[in-house]
Amino acid sequence: MTEFMQPDSRRCNYFFLYDGSKVKGEGDPTREGICYFYPEETPLDEQELLCGQLAGASRCVSELSSSPVRILRLRRNNFSIRMKDDFFWALGCSVEVPTISVCELLDQLINLFCFYSGSVRRSYQLNTQETLARRWAQYLSHLESASSELHHIFSCLRTIDSTNIDPLLLLKAALILQACQRCPLVSAGCILFRGRVVSTQMSPELTMKVMVHESETYAKMQAQRSNGPSAFSSFGGAVSSTSVFLTMSELQYLQSAPVDKHFSSRSTPHKNTPPRKTRLSRTLSDTPSPESEPSDTGSSQSPQKVSLSPHLSDSSVFSPDPSQSAADPPPQQLEPPFSNGKHSPVAEEEVLEESYYHSFHSNGDGVGPMHDEGDGSLCGEDSHRNGGGGDGDAACGTVFESQGDNVLEEVSGGGCGDVQCHEAEIPDPPRSGAFDSQEECPRIPMTLYLHRVKGLVLALLVEPHFLSDKDSMEEVYHSSLASLNGLEAHLRTISPGAPGTPGPYIFAHFDCIQSTLTTNLSGRPGGAPQRPFVRATSLLHSHFCNTETLQEAIIRSAGAAVYGTRSVAQETYFQQHGGSLRNSGIPNHQDSAFSLPGKARHRLLKHGVNLL
Amino acid sequence: MTTKTSLLKVILLGDGGVGKSSIMNRYVTNKFDAHLFHTIGVEFLNKELEVDGHQVTLQIWDTAGQERFRSLRTPFYRGSDCCLLTFSVDDNQSFLNLGNWKKEFIYYADVKEPETFPFVVLGNKVDVTERQVSSEEAKQWCQENGNYPYYETSAKDATNVAVAFEEAVRRVLALDERTDHLIPTDTVKLHRKPRSAGTCCS
Repeated sequence: MTEFMQPDSRRCNYFFLYDGSKVKGEGDPTREGICYFYPEETPLDEQELLCGQLAGASRCVSELSSSPVRILRLRRNNFSIRMKDDFFWALGCSVEVPTISVCELLDQLINLFCFYSGSVRRSYQLNTQETLARRWAQYLSHLESASSELHHIFSCLRTIDSTNIDPLLLLKAALILQACQRCPLVSAGCILFRGRVVSTQMSPELTMKVMVHESETYAKMQAQRSNGPSAFSSFGGAVSSTSVFLTMSELQYLQSAPVDKHFSSRSTPHKNTPPRKTRLSRTLSDTPSPESEPSDTGSSQSPQKVSLSPHLSDSSVFSPDPSQSAADPPPQQLEPPFSNGKHSPVAEEEVLEESYYHSFHSNGDGVGPMHDEGDGSLCGEDSHRNGGGGDGDAACGTVFESQGDNVLEEVSGGGCGDVQCHEAEIPDPPRSGAFDSQEECPRIPMTLYLHRVKGLVLALLVEPHFLSDKDSMEEVYHSSLASLNGLEAHLRTISPGAPGTPGPYIFAHFDCIQSTLTTNLSGRPGGAPQRPFVRATSLLHSHFCNTETLQEAIIRSAGAAVYGTRSVAQETYFQQHGGSLRNSGIPNHQDSAFSLPGKARHRLLKHGVNLL
Repeated sequence: MTTKTSLLKVILLGDGGVGKSSIMNRYVTNKFDAHLFHTIGVEFLNKELEVDGHQVTLQIWDTAGQERFRSLRTPFYRGSDCCLLTFSVDDNQSFLNLGNWKKEFIYYADVKEPETFPFVVLGNKVDVTERQVSSEEAKQWCQENGNYPYYETSAKDATNVAVAFEEAVRRVLALDERTDHLIPTDTVKLHRKPRSAGTCCS
């Protein structure tokens, strides 16, 4: 992987996990409770000071306000806070990093840990602190290593640059994944090339988690290659696996994905092996004219929207009528509406609004290959049925999964505190409740299977007994090997495209549903003119997250103006270069900044971004 | 020569649906799946075998037969040691297209001496009862186009599949031995001249 970190791309200044159960008595030293502290070279006294201060302040505030603390500000750092049982996490970033990103980063970090290790308490009972410290460090460095600052701002998936890749190859990848699902022990998968997503059937959150292990095995493989002669990978060398732990909601989502729609009514949420007949391709085999299908599907995939577009057109998904959306809960994030209604006396309107909000995210999470127009509503109903009995479980599901922007309780005298004020008024019992009950709610063990062909990786979430089922293993291995070889050959020969032809404008387009970013900004460091754009984007993104009704904004300095617009599904940022900004300091209809929306609409069409 | 394992690239070309992927899968994994989807672009599998005392790793490239995949497959023709032109005996059009496939291959693989390049012709699906192409027609075409070996295969019941690939290997090895004699006469040493330090352009 040839990407290097930008010099200033380190966002996280502090991170620690503190176990309050170790420090009960008056005489117990604080250091006993510190499970992990980053930076690891921090003097112990300083570690104790920070842990003590933050844990104390958080407890105090949360008891006074009887709601969980999410953000604390201390010494020019924003600390995102999570408390769970006796565990206390804090992640501190400099105040320039948007609050929302700090919260997301911490959630991602804890999620990653739980994904690979299961319950935190149990992990610390079973493993040494050193072992787990390595994991925290690994996850932290993985999250820090995003390719650009924009990736950091949006916490988005790193995807393959699809502008110069034949869409047919994306279809090929999707078909490989579907072929693997012919084996009933395979839940879902994704295909990665050189640390970037080519195609995925999983939610962006789950895909992101899987990618950590991928990059770990990649590093190991590189090390082996330089050490010894094991260059020729046999079956054993190319295939590896590790155990992972899914939340109930993640599992429900996987099981209620459209691929199962014909069977899900028969199956229970906890089914192990749903009855499935072997089909060639769940997407394509049912179509009347297979002859014309590949090209059609291929062309319908706009490059950066891997096979999601038909789904987007589903009117029920994007219906502005909240009751309709609420009646049609999304597959994997049933929790917010359910638990909201269950646990808290939140105003009806808010419940609806929130479920509406979530339905976008979750419906969109189905990044998997879904070409069927009817899928959205169909799977919604099915999962409703499935999830109906599971709303108890549901409470534990979304702990870290929901967008971090719903709850922001800011305890600070800083200026940006006001922005979050109205957010803080909305209590979020489902989330905090879910957070508390998470430990009791078991995570479901599954296995992550990886098959590597040079830079290409097929990652599959499989039932744990898949590994002992030799026939299934061989079937999956052999049915995908030739295609993986071919796909790797194709992707390897694609030239990275002409880099850095800086046009007269910069844009960044964030797809919130697939969690992907399209931009003409190179990820390389040193672009001085890019700084204002990145900063403005960061600011605007924060505002969009905090103000749900905000749709368009222009942010400007004396020398630059950046236009931002968002819908429920996307955020787009645009800056036009050249042409002096006519800015008299007072509102003026001739101000060139006001022509930015029009220019953005016009310019971005050719990048597949439709702002109309 | 006998101790060393050489990697040979053979490529399967022919109309869509004649059974190229099935032939490859039958040969390498000994399995047959009647419901394979169209190949998109190219795919390949390796198979190690011994032919006449030569250890060979056969790299079999399977290609998409449909016209719309042309731009994806053609870049991978280069470097092929042997080309297996495939048609289906129950599809006359696929037989008529053999000449086009040969031309496409020679053009994109940049074959220097098309007359001596080893082609092998496969008539697949002989298990099907309703034939549209007779053995005689096929043999005649092979005769007229460069005396290519012809095999009637069935990926479904494994008829002649292994034999055809072994023949392909033999053809390549035979050609290699002939050219081996030629090599000493006029060769260009491609070893890099030792460069003086400091001239590195990076």
